[in-house]
Amino acid sequence: MKLLNKISLWFIGVVLLITPISMYIGLLNIKKAMDQAEINRMTAANDQAAVLLKAGNTDSQFTQGRPILIRKINAPLPENRVQIEESYKHTDENGKKECLIRVNSYYQIAGQNYQISSYDYVTKADEILSGMLHSIFWKMLLVILSLLLCARILSRYIFTPFRHTMKAIKHFSIKEKTPLRLQHTNTKEFRELNIFLEKMTDKAIEDYTSVKEFSENASHELQTPLAVLRSKMELLTETRIDASQAGLIEEMYKAIDKLSLINRSLLFLTKLENHEFDTSELLDFRISCQEVLHTYEERTALKKLQVTTVFPDQVPLKIHPVLAEILLSNLFSNAIRHNNENGHIKISLTRDRLIMQNTGTPPAIPTEELFMRFKKGDQCNSGIGLGLSIVKQICQLHHFTVTYTYNKGWHTLSIYFNKHTENKEALPEKQEEDLHIPAAVS
Amino acid sequence: MKVLIVEDNKELSESLNDFLVGERFICECADSVNSAREKLLSYSYDCILLDIMLPDGNGLDLLRFIQLEKINSGVLIVSAKDALDDKISGLESGGDDYITKPFHLPELHARLRAVYRRKKTDGTNLIACNEITLDTDTMEIFVCNTRLEVTPKEFDLLHYFIVNKNRVLSRQSIATHLWGDYTDNLPNFDFIYQHIKNLRKKISACGGADYIETIYGLGYKFNTSGI
Repeated sequence: MKLLNKISLWFIGVVLLITPISMYIGLLNIKKAMDQAEINRMTAANDQAAVLLKAGNTDSQFTQGRPILIRKINAPLPENRVQIEESYKHTDENGKKECLIRVNSYYQIAGQNYQISSYDYVTKADEILSGMLHSIFWKMLLVILSLLLCARILSRYIFTPFRHTMKAIKHFSIKEKTPLRLQHTNTKEFRELNIFLEKMTDKAIEDYTSVKEFSENASHELQTPLAVLRSKMELLTETRIDASQAGLIEEMYKAIDKLSLINRSLLFLTKLENHEFDTSELLDFRISCQEVLHTYEERTALKKLQVTTVFPDQVPLKIHPVLAEILLSNLFSNAIRHNNENGHIKISLTRDRLIMQNTGTPPAIPTEELFMRFKKGDQCNSGIGLGLSIVKQICQLHHFTVTYTYNKGWHTLSIYFNKHTENKEALPEKQEEDLHIPAAVS
Repeated sequence: MKVLIVEDNKELSESLNDFLVGERFICECADSVNSAREKLLSYSYDCILLDIMLPDGNGLDLLRFIQLEKINSGVLIVSAKDALDDKISGLESGGDDYITKPFHLPELHARLRAVYRRKKTDGTNLIACNEITLDTDTMEIFVCNTRLEVTPKEFDLLHYFIVNKNRVLSRQSIATHLWGDYTDNLPNFDFIYQHIKNLRKKISACGGADYIETIYGLGYKFNTSGI
């Protein structure tokens, strides 16, 4: 639920809760004020009647049309000279209960005690209530409507910096190393949030860079000792050694090779992440495919693999030639390495995707995990487990989608190029070129 | 051939020195940009082995110095960085070839020879070893004056053997030389065996001696002394 809606709902809830209470208080006050006014009027009328009585005038004209009752009483005057009685009575006119107020005033006129009482019907509380309810209904409607409307309009204005911040965070990438800079705002909470975010991302970038630099430097620094080790080993082989020593040296050779391969692959991955292979030129991916296929011809021949290929005329892709070569080499050498003797490899390339299929034994671990670093389907083979990580990294860099599935003896690796429209835009003009190429060839 | 080794790592420059001296090269070592400059100004070298990262500066600066002083030596850049940009900027600044650490000594040797051959203006492109002659321009092999039908890989292999004759060549080093090293996989040695078998067959078919000797556990050796 949107924050705004939440606040609005709470606000409406509070209004709904407060309104009956305030209405009840209002009702009591109004009723009291009205009754008091009536009582005051009647007390005044009684007083006037008493004055007239004192003057000896008992004419009903002085009662001002009010029902005034004047009674002589023999009992002594009560302590309270003005007594008020409130009662509900049925009237004949409409058969409803009406509220009657009677004011009894006591006077002593010329030695005789009198009770002068006047009464009148006043508006009942429920009558006032019905009037109030009507107005309250409109009041509430107005309050809620204006609240919702104001919230909508104001929020657009108030939440602008927040929305900007959200957008900035969404587009923030630690790998791009561009610090997060947010819009200035005078809302305290947002300002605090922005300052916090800026500090946090700056720190993250700094840490990320230093970790990166460290691993890069470490890898570089490792290359020289490795070179020393390898050269010394080579010099050692020139000396007189027997078969058992040769066996030891061979094992060491293998270890050094593996070490240097891991080191180089990690360095390469770092470089990929650092966007060191950015390019804006279109490359014909089909030619890269054919070149790589060509370099692996002897290997496929040695394993007696049958390679089937389907290539279109041209596949323009925005990819660095070195990356294209590494991507394809990794895929193809995997397809050969994990294949059976006399197996098959199927390669199908279109403008939108590359699908490479090969026969082989089922993978020992879930296929998705094979994209992770140092994960190998077969722990004892000679690979180092970085090949598919490199493939994935290259694909991510170019916004390609890569999937790996295994079904009935076939390993299928699919790469979809057109995740975004960039390539699609480039296609129409390329298609025109396509039309010319066959003509030029023939 | 006279070679200047510019490398700050003492052990590595010793290895290089030992190996190249074994090839009857005359070697001198410099461990910094300054000492290399001094040596370059005082003596002349056929080839320079140049490390990019040096304690007192960048090897690329030294390359510019070499160009400025019009020193006519072949330069083989040795670097721990196999970044593409470094490779390109190194070659653009006047380097003749580029090799990344950790390298195989025979590979370095082969490249050094190639750099040297290219620099020599009077150089012939023929490499001879007894009855075998290689033409590096046309990629042809002649055994007892008969032209051998070989694949480019086989040519590379024999070339590598002859340049590093009488040395043990590990299978790793041969594989790296022939196929480069961009993939995740460690080289598959079956190919090497296959190629060597074919090459042996072809040479002996033309009447050449079997120079390629298998060294158990290590690799192969192009042995010209034993026959």
